[in-house]
Amino acid sequence: MPEIKVTPLGAGQDVGRSCILVSIAGKNVMLDCGMHMGYNDDRRFPDFSYITQNGRLTDFLDCVIISHFHLDHCGALPYFSEMVGYDGPIYMTHPTKAICPILLEDYRKITVDKKGETNFFTSQMIKDCMKKVVAVHLHQTVQVDEELEIKAYYAGHVLGAAMFQIKVGCESVVYTGDYNMTPDRHLGAAWIDKCRPDLLITESTYATTIRDSKRCRERDFLKKVHETVERGGKVLIPVFALGRAQELCILLETFWERMNLKAPIYFSTGLTEKANHYYKLFITWTNQKIRKTFVQRNMFEFKHIKAFDRAFADNPGPMVVFATPGMLHAGQSLQIFRKWAGNEKNMVIMPGYCVQGTVGHKILSGQRKLEMEGRQILEVKMQVEYMSFSAHADAKGIMQLIRQAEPRNVLLVHGEAKKMEFLKQKIEQEFHVNCFMPANGETTTIFTNPSIPVDISLGLLKRETAIGLLPDAKKPKLMHGTLIMKDNSFRLVSPEQALKELGLAEHQLRFTCRVHIQDPRKEHETVLRVYNHLKGVLKDYSVQHLPDGSITVESILIQATAHSEDQGTKVLLVSWTYQDEELGSYLTSLLKKGLPQSTS
Amino acid sequence: MSRECAMLLPRVCAALADPRQPGSDDTCLEKMLDWFRELAAGEPTVKLLQDNPCLTEFFTSMLALPEPNPSVLAFTLRLAGTIAALEGCFQHLQQQKLLARLFGEDGPLNSIVWEDASVRSGWVEGVQSMLQHQPALHFMCNGGGLDVIFTLQGDPSLFVASAASRLLVHMLTLSVGPEMTVPLNAKDCSWPPCAQMIIKHIEDSLQSSSASHIKQSLKLLTILFGSCQAPWTKVLWLGIAKQVEFFLTEDSVQAQHMLADLLLNMARSPVFHDAEGNFWASVTSALEHLTPVQAGPLAVGILRLRQCPQDVRIQALTVLLQPMDCILRAASQPLEYAGLLDESVSDPSAVESLLSSKSSCANLLCQTLAHLEELLSVTCLPVDLPYASLLHSVLTILQFCNGLLIPASPLGSKISQILIGCFRVQRSALDALAALSDRKCCDTVIGSLFDILLAYLESPNTSPTVLKKSFQATSKWLAHLPGMSFFKNQGQTEKTLQDVFLVLQKRLCSPCWEVRDSSLEFLTNLIECLRDQDEFRQSLLSSEVPKLTENLLEDPESYVRASAVTAMGHLAFVTYFFAPESPVTGNQYNKENTMAKLQEILSTDPEGFPRRAVMSIFTMWLEESCTGQLEETEQFVSRVIQTAEHDLDWEVKLGCLELVQVFCIHMFCQFGLPECPYAPVSPAVSSSNHQDEPLRTFCRTNLFSFLFRSLCDCDKPVGQKACDILLALKSHFCRSSVIDSQGSGDLSAEHSIPWLQRTLRQGSLAQNFPTDGGNGVDFQDPESMMLALRTIDLEELHDALNKCSDHVEKSPQSLLEDILATVATTEENEADCY
Repeated sequence: MPEIKVTPLGAGQDVGRSCILVSIAGKNVMLDCGMHMGYNDDRRFPDFSYITQNGRLTDFLDCVIISHFHLDHCGALPYFSEMVGYDGPIYMTHPTKAICPILLEDYRKITVDKKGETNFFTSQMIKDCMKKVVAVHLHQTVQVDEELEIKAYYAGHVLGAAMFQIKVGCESVVYTGDYNMTPDRHLGAAWIDKCRPDLLITESTYATTIRDSKRCRERDFLKKVHETVERGGKVLIPVFALGRAQELCILLETFWERMNLKAPIYFSTGLTEKANHYYKLFITWTNQKIRKTFVQRNMFEFKHIKAFDRAFADNPGPMVVFATPGMLHAGQSLQIFRKWAGNEKNMVIMPGYCVQGTVGHKILSGQRKLEMEGRQILEVKMQVEYMSFSAHADAKGIMQLIRQAEPRNVLLVHGEAKKMEFLKQKIEQEFHVNCFMPANGETTTIFTNPSIPVDISLGLLKRETAIGLLPDAKKPKLMHGTLIMKDNSFRLVSPEQALKELGLAEHQLRFTCRVHIQDPRKEHETVLRVYNHLKGVLKDYSVQHLPDGSITVESILIQATAHSEDQGTKVLLVSWTYQDEELGSYLTSLLKKGLPQSTS
Repeated sequence: MSRECAMLLPRVCAALADPRQPGSDDTCLEKMLDWFRELAAGEPTVKLLQDNPCLTEFFTSMLALPEPNPSVLAFTLRLAGTIAALEGCFQHLQQQKLLARLFGEDGPLNSIVWEDASVRSGWVEGVQSMLQHQPALHFMCNGGGLDVIFTLQGDPSLFVASAASRLLVHMLTLSVGPEMTVPLNAKDCSWPPCAQMIIKHIEDSLQSSSASHIKQSLKLLTILFGSCQAPWTKVLWLGIAKQVEFFLTEDSVQAQHMLADLLLNMARSPVFHDAEGNFWASVTSALEHLTPVQAGPLAVGILRLRQCPQDVRIQALTVLLQPMDCILRAASQPLEYAGLLDESVSDPSAVESLLSSKSSCANLLCQTLAHLEELLSVTCLPVDLPYASLLHSVLTILQFCNGLLIPASPLGSKISQILIGCFRVQRSALDALAALSDRKCCDTVIGSLFDILLAYLESPNTSPTVLKKSFQATSKWLAHLPGMSFFKNQGQTEKTLQDVFLVLQKRLCSPCWEVRDSSLEFLTNLIECLRDQDEFRQSLLSSEVPKLTENLLEDPESYVRASAVTAMGHLAFVTYFFAPESPVTGNQYNKENTMAKLQEILSTDPEGFPRRAVMSIFTMWLEESCTGQLEETEQFVSRVIQTAEHDLDWEVKLGCLELVQVFCIHMFCQFGLPECPYAPVSPAVSSSNHQDEPLRTFCRTNLFSFLFRSLCDCDKPVGQKACDILLALKSHFCRSSVIDSQGSGDLSAEHSIPWLQRTLRQGSLAQNFPTDGGNGVDFQDPESMMLALRTIDLEELHDALNKCSDHVEKSPQSLLEDILATVATTEENEADCY
């Protein structure tokens, strides 16, 4: 039975580095190739040795698909393609292809900035990797090879994020990546058509959460920033160069404009210009509101946000600074944090998750006395806030997507086991479909029941319509013909055409049966009685009495002989072709009942 | 273990074992294990457990929990295993009756948590860590642990199943030990009890009717022969050889790939190198019975072996050459070409049928081409490949792939139909073609080789990835051109180069950034390889390529701008050294013009790549001494420092420091001093004049200001590099100096050096140098700088800077504090994307 196999190498019951292997109709696809920032050795990457066991990577994998530019979805890609040795096609959307290298470069810089980092990719590797990427448009069906096709759908979440449908023949899988079912300040909501995939692989980050309104969080954020600036404090927002940073920039820019605020806002990374350039370029990927206002003003051309110079950090007075990296573990954000941490008027807002081993993680877990280099103690007096602005679908959103796509099976990834368990039950109850949640390294096998398309010859179709049965889409119809399986394709043709095509001679197969009846009369009289009887019963058929004494009903032939030992018994030899099997059986049973007395 | 950690550990253990607390981040647990592994390696005694009774208490509490958190339980098992690897600790845990509850039948393996793959994985890893000594082995074998591991070989989790196989291999090798004497045959072998059980399990599984059991055992054997090369493995093989041979001929198990892997690992083991025994017969059988795709990896592995019977080697070569041979035959008229192989040694029908099928043709060719590329990359290959025929065959494939060749033979026409437009095969063939350039092939095909490559470079149907590989292959072949007889024909060479530059001109204008960038990389590569060839320079400089390259300095894509900078830098090099007054160029691409343009890019380009590329080019120029006379060079370096010291990209600054380093060497060389500043300077050679001039030059170029400020840069590599350079300068200037540093106290105060010293000590840690200036330090005054070099403790700074920037946050103490702090946080920060 055909099957689809799914093995997460990452994101199986966790929110780490997404990397899911899908095997569908003999094709192998890797969905996302993410990195875990919590490690500084090979553990940061998925364990690809499980794939390399199957021979050369490029021969085994038909393609890699990247859902969006976040590093937990694409961070291992240069390692995979340039160091592990995958040399095949990589697919992502146009904005992802443009922005992905910026983030990878940003993170590479932060990583090599520290000592003791091993086995990390270089700038050249990022570039070489990106050259292998094939960019796709939304709703464009891309033919990876003759059998495998993929199609991207809008996923919200971040600019360029996409859900991907992977299809081989009539079997299909949809992988959502991260998605958001509600529009936010610059992006629209995820959407997919009723594609009824055999399997929907969906993220489940907020599997049990009904998220509070994002508006509330935004209001809260603006209020906190405003209050700090009003009292003359400085606000530090550590970010990665892209994604959340742009969303927060829009938020502050609009607020500053509305409130006519004068305090400067700075963005400290040199990468931002490029990022904003792409946000402008891919305006069609943002939401309708941004697209509408684009005519008057591009939302990403910021009036209040200016480039940061490190000397500004010592300036007196309030200011807001976006600085990289986002986890306060090196570079400029950490430098500014050290300068500002001692003043209670200041505030640091962490808009994203911080891994252990970073200053960001320490302050978020409430530590206020931090040991710095040289045994110095830094007392953190500034206010510390955590505000997640990530855009994932909540439980309601996930259910809504399932309703929209109508999958036959669901598989949960990118979430915590306990929360997944709850959602799994909910999905199974509400939609009556199987729901799976494999751990990393566990393979889930889904059996599919594919309908196999068969081409029907025109001749055969014409013949069918000629006998008056017009095609009706709602009623399945039985059709007889010869199935030719050749070169991976199936064709139904008439037997004559099949014989001709295949150069075969026709052999007639006839079934025979002997029926004994008691009739003392001469043989020809018995034949006449049988003829009259059949003529009377089979009014719609052509029953003929042939000169040689035999009877035919369609292709059925009946001959009578006297029994060699008992002249009072006549043996009727009935023979028919397989096409008249039904009629032949009927006749035999009819004759076995004997001839009626009145027939003479 | 430090005192602080020892104090924190009990609280951490208590927190982890508290079911009311939210589970700790998995990375924290992993890092804690790393730390314990270091501790156990550093102090391999029972003291670890005795000094930290909280560890034993932690194990006890975890085992007492009715519903432990799976990830913490898995951590417990792995930690216990790590600790029990020390024999003393093992005994200690056994006395406490903890081992049976951790790894025996009383443990998690009979509880509901066993259903969680992470617990099973933790158990296997714990056992694997623990099994470092015989008592642990006996404990596992006598306690029924082996059966559990046998079952785990078929675990639904790939990670657990694979770890279980590795564990069995580990147990087998530990049980047999390195010193077992090898009997003559398998029956006389008295295996130790544990090994006996494992071997019996392997043999039984191989004879079972279950395909999955057979596959598990084959996997186990593959790992075993890959990791253990003890003589006893041969005895083990004798017991299973027949069965393996049976699997080779009967494909009911569908484990052909595994069999190939197994035999390859065995072939690599010296144990099987002698001709005795049936091993090589099995390899021969495998090469015969497996399909070409299945046998390919085995064949390529065999061909890399130094020791291998000649007939096996020939057979392996046949497997690999058959598809290439088939291609040649398919492409040629009957009797036109003899092919690669004698038909008497191989039956091509299997390969022919694979090549004529749409589904297998590309796979077989890609695999074969990749294997050939692999073999070609081996420097001392023990076998001679027929390079000329291979080249012919690879070129034929490339012709099939772009429709240049459609042969009349039915097989040839079928293959060409399948391959036309197939990017996968194109990429593999181009890689193989590039690899072939290193081998001596006959020159006769070189003309057609370039025709084919040019067709690929020209064709609008060539995909960017294929184009990149075409460029790579072309540059590799062009680089070898001077050594070929083809090159002696000047007309042909000129024509080829002109054609290449014509294509390049077109490609440099491609709308696709990948293509423009690959084109520029190709150009740089060509200049590097062929810059001293007159024909090359003439063709290059008379083409439109230099102009187009210059235009690309303003490309919207920063990757392309960076590559253009590199290419321009190399172009300027060509004109500076080889064609200073070229009538063709009109000196348009001379160094001065290019330098001005690159300076402009360094100060204005909004992105890091082009600026970094400029720094690399400047450094290359300086290294190759093409920055002009001394004065000119001094001004050049001064300008570059002035621009780069304010750069926001630390890698640009680092590039500038590399340039400074080269400049220092350059200066010392100019004044007849030893080239390397690290080398000891003979007092006889150095004179005060020689000393003073470089110092004055460095001061004039503002080099010291840049170096001292860089020590406090917020990005550590910058500080580290600056410190290295300053130390080198110190060793150079201060070694031969007659001034005694002890007597310079007053002087240094006068020059504000103590302030500098203080600022640097604090600033290098706080990563902050005052922005308002040097507080009276004159960085351009040679005397002050000599004092600074002599007074400031650069060695101490060097040690501080050389620590990882987050070494404090990464320390075990910090880790333990973080775990405690996370547990104490009431509000859960949801797991999130980055």
